[in-house]
Amino acid sequence: MAAVSTAKITVTPSEFHFVKYEAQDIVDVVTELAEMLGVANPIHVIVDESTPLSKLAAEADGTSSDSTLTLRAESGALENTKRFTHFSADAARGSLGRTLLRAKDRLRSDYAEAPDDFDLSLAENAAWDTYCAGRLDRMGVKLNKQRWLYNYRNRFGFSDDGDAAFERLWSADDLSWTELIAGP
Amino acid sequence: MGNSETETQTTVRAPFTPWDRRELPGLFDVEETARRVGNYKWTEMKLFEALGGWIATVPELDVKMRFGTHCYHHSWHADIWHKRLPELREMKPERLTAPANEAMERFIEAMTEPEAAELTIEKLVGVYRVLIPRFIGAYTYHRNNASEITDAPTVRFINFILQDEYDDWRDGEMLLQSLITTPDHVRRAAEHQAKLEAIMVEAGGITGPGSIGTSVSTTEGGA
Amino acid sequence: MRQFFPVDDLARDERFVQTNMAERMKDARTTVDVDAATAKSRASSNRLTPDRHDASDGARSLMHGIMVGEIQALEGAGRTAHDFEAGDGSGDTIPFELKLDMARQAWDEARHVEISVKLSDWMGTELGQFAENTVLFEAACSNDPILRLAGVNRALEGLAIDVFTQMKEFGNLAGDPYLEFCEDWMLADEVTHVKMGSDWLRKVTENDPDRRKKALEFQQVVDKLFSFGGARGETDESPIGLARRFRELAGFSDDEVDTISMMDQEALDERKEAIRAFHAQADAQPTPA
Ligand SMILES: [Fe+2]
Ligand SMILES: [Fe+2]
Repeated sequence: MAAVSTAKITVTPSEFHFVKYEAQDIVDVVTELAEMLGVANPIHVIVDESTPLSKLAAEADGTSSDSTLTLRAESGALENTKRFTHFSADAARGSLGRTLLRAKDRLRSDYAEAPDDFDLSLAENAAWDTYCAGRLDRMGVKLNKQRWLYNYRNRFGFSDDGDAAFERLWSADDLSWTELIAGP
Repeated sequence: MGNSETETQTTVRAPFTPWDRRELPGLFDVEETARRVGNYKWTEMKLFEALGGWIATVPELDVKMRFGTHCYHHSWHADIWHKRLPELREMKPERLTAPANEAMERFIEAMTEPEAAELTIEKLVGVYRVLIPRFIGAYTYHRNNASEITDAPTVRFINFILQDEYDDWRDGEMLLQSLITTPDHVRRAAEHQAKLEAIMVEAGGITGPGSIGTSVSTTEGGA
Repeated sequence: MRQFFPVDDLARDERFVQTNMAERMKDARTTVDVDAATAKSRASSNRLTPDRHDASDGARSLMHGIMVGEIQALEGAGRTAHDFEAGDGSGDTIPFELKLDMARQAWDEARHVEISVKLSDWMGTELGQFAENTVLFEAACSNDPILRLAGVNRALEGLAIDVFTQMKEFGNLAGDPYLEFCEDWMLADEVTHVKMGSDWLRKVTENDPDRRKKALEFQQVVDKLFSFGGARGETDESPIGLARRFRELAGFSDDEVDTISMMDQEALDERKEAIRAFHAQADAQPTPA
């Protein structure tokens, strides 16, 4: 495990009306993730609680160690799917973990060309999700690999070549943006 | 057309090929066959109703799906016998759609009694360790003693049905073997089987006494 | 075993968590723009197609919904085969042949469960991963068998036709070799089940116009409930479309499909209204410091 993080973590909103989430639960999960991933930057998590969808986005307002990382999540991404509107630390760990890894990637100079998350193509998104999920899985965060393979196949086709490319991304640890989007 | 060689060949052949060993005699006349078929239909019907009703009551997904599949198998058997009855001079099939006797009715009541979610073993025992083995017995006895010529339709139907019974019995028995894992399970299965078996013995089988004939010598002959 | 079996007693293993329509409707979040003026970055279409950013997760969640729906359809068909004596169809009886059809349906639904469990696995979903809405079995709990035919075979299985058509198209567009194949087979079975419902409803109520009317009214209530607050409808605001062609094959008249479409739109409008009210209430609460 990486050195203890000193990240300052904030969550918006501080109180939820549509879902039964506690901002502190989100802070706890992100604190744990920041420690695990060795991220010391300030982190701001913004949750859109008005939608049950689960889109995620990561921003970094610079490339230095004190640049603020903003993680945006629609409420469905942090939800216990067995008990709608209830928070799930496992789901949050998976979703925010991937997003934090993305934000961390964005701190690298070889990610300068990466478009904003909302401007990424569906294929670029799937490739990056695979790369993040694979790393997170190796760090012990409980993920269903088949789910990510299915997601990847939906974007790159159901083929042996596509599956081989998925495996490469899933097991990679140090990819540049260009390598990441190279495709099958 | 033809040459002299074929013209000299005869088309006269024996009506039964040398390998056709079917016999004319059979143990059951039309009336007795209709009675048995009516008992089969009633019991197959009770069985498919029970399996259908139980689907919602068992938490084990594999058992749930097997019950759904077997429910259809037994409804198909009931349908076959329902359609066979008018061919056996019973124009109101409902008249003969009946249990062999009062004990048989009691047996079905006792077999379908378990409802709670934790009683899957009891449900399976009733069907696969008591009722279906009795079906296999009654059908086998009927098939082997029916006239293969006069009642070929019943023999043919039984052959199809028996295949289902064997397959379903194997499914159910294996489900039981996988569910019975402790001495308490063994006790539950055995006690429930004994309770149901006792009523079945009273009933004498699916078609009553004589469901599988009798192996005891009588003064009237036999053996 | 009881003659009728209540929805609350449905047996499930511990992976499954059940919910109902009332609970679902309490969730004030929405994927539709309730007010164009405050529209955020919502998708222009909610239709479940592969070009949605959350396509694979959406398909997984819908597939799980299909799976639990199939379990309940299996249970419902089995119960109808069990709960009513064979008779002439009057009172508490159903024709023997209708019982046989219900048993046949139970087998079909058992296969559908098998198919959807395998598909869920293929898509990376665990059994019980999503809450199970028991609304489907509720429609199968009526004490009048004809109401069950209307509510289950016509309304619920009709919805299944819409859902499978949507998923088949999804699989086709995504190039998923199994999804389209399986949905196509299940669609064939569901058309048969709806037709069963249409035919038996007509036959059993032939001389009982009141009973038929009551059944069709019940079907409408269930249809509206099954539009899940606009989740099924003809506009792109609904994730699931209305499969007109397959419904026609299953014995729905054009008028009936038009009525369902209209009710879907009503359900969507009512849902938007409820959400607007909830938003207004939330806005009125004091903002935390
Ligand atoms: Fe189905
Ligand atoms: Fe169906």
